[in-house]
Amino acid sequence: MKTLVFPSTPESVGLARLYRYDEWIVNRFMQYVPDVYTFLESLERDPPRYIRTNTLKIDSKKLKSKLLSKGFKLKETALEDVIAVEKALYSIGATTEYLLGYYYIQDLSSCFAVEALDIGKDQTVLDMASAPGGKTTFIAQKMENTGCLIAIEPNPKRVRSILYNIARCGVINTCVFTMDGRQVSNLNLKFDRVLLDAPCSGEGVIAKDNDRRTNHKPEDVEYCALIQRELIEAAIKVVKPGGLLVYSTCSFAPEENENIVNYLLDKFDIQIEPFQYGNDGLVNFGDFHFRQDLKNTKRFYPHLHKTLGFYIAKIRVNN
Amino acid sequence: MFRKACRQELTILRRAFNKWGVFDFFVEKTILIKEEYHKDTEVYLLSSGLELIILSRQPNYAGLKVGELKKNFLPSMEGADLIARVSKNFPHIIVNEIAERLILYGRSVLGQSIVGGTENLNENEIILLLNRNREPIGVGRTKFSGKYLFQIDIVTVTTLIDAGHYLRNEGQ
Repeated sequence: MKTLVFPSTPESVGLARLYRYDEWIVNRFMQYVPDVYTFLESLERDPPRYIRTNTLKIDSKKLKSKLLSKGFKLKETALEDVIAVEKALYSIGATTEYLLGYYYIQDLSSCFAVEALDIGKDQTVLDMASAPGGKTTFIAQKMENTGCLIAIEPNPKRVRSILYNIARCGVINTCVFTMDGRQVSNLNLKFDRVLLDAPCSGEGVIAKDNDRRTNHKPEDVEYCALIQRELIEAAIKVVKPGGLLVYSTCSFAPEENENIVNYLLDKFDIQIEPFQYGNDGLVNFGDFHFRQDLKNTKRFYPHLHKTLGFYIAKIRVNN
Repeated sequence: MFRKACRQELTILRRAFNKWGVFDFFVEKTILIKEEYHKDTEVYLLSSGLELIILSRQPNYAGLKVGELKKNFLPSMEGADLIARVSKNFPHIIVNEIAERLILYGRSVLGQSIVGGTENLNENEIILLLNRNREPIGVGRTKFSGKYLFQIDIVTVTTLIDAGHYLRNEGQ
């Protein structure tokens, strides 16, 4: 399916020039992003920094006290284990506390994806595209190091980062398979929970990677959407009846988000569950008209939620 | 390949866990051995829910590597972390802040950096390196025994592994 590109307008051309984007990108943002001027302005600033307490090793109160004594300025967030770092005297990735695995540097939006999984102890959980291991280690933490967590990553070079993070965070309930998520059924396992944080065009991380303002092409969205459709089909087939699949991307593109979940709703016996954070998913985008349930999926915008751009769908497989 | 520990390996492990003060902790835990061609035998701690999957499907990686088995058991950084959390009695030294930073860059320990620790350590003994908060920052081997560990301007403990290796090796 082709990526929707809208006819240029003087406003879209002007905004694209002002903020140094390819026009088609800004034009699409204008179709669905609330308060697009504030949105584009927010992408000019460095995104907020967050750390997630690794409660397998330390509780949030103790960690905060250690970091405050080192001159950090911290702020609470919507999630108990996640802390916003407003000021750090030196790199947050080089403190003794980081090396000891007391925290993980992770955007708040990623933590919301794990939160949506409603994880309990002793479950069987699958993380389908797991490098570098941020969500994997958070899932293990939510499982209190019990049960069984399978992490899959197709790229052997990226597996290394998962292993370091698993080791640093003291995770014992995880095994890692170097394999393509589309072949996950070969494991002959069924899962209570599956997280598919799908590879995507990365529109949501423009604030971190300015090159995407001009390097990003409509074909990237099409290519990613194709893979996402294959991955989500593979994922849904390994969820136990009554189990949950959380689909997420760090892209704003409806072709990679609502359209993928809409496809799944048409094909499988599933329902979209509500999630308390974020803005409602889209039900209309250009010529696309999605099912009303898609409102239950959630979009995260930098100017509204102080996160990177993100999308989350919480999908329950019916019994 | 992951497998269960053989009798001889279990004997070495039990003796080592006793030495490190973690014998009781490991009694109820699941331990597997990983053997690869031309590599040291590695010891992994894992949740009980994982064991069957690992043995039947042999994933690339699983659980937490707590150490290596050679003639004796050598704790990994993750093993050191467990020992420091669980055990009340294990061979260690405590170092000052300057030495802490240097150890995290892989450097060894000068005698004057040691501010405390287990009394009467032997020469060639494997010990944990702790910072002033008693957090494990490395594993080392003593080059001297007893009071000779405190000799000024001499490396008296060799750092074998340190918590900084996560950063130094992650991108490789």
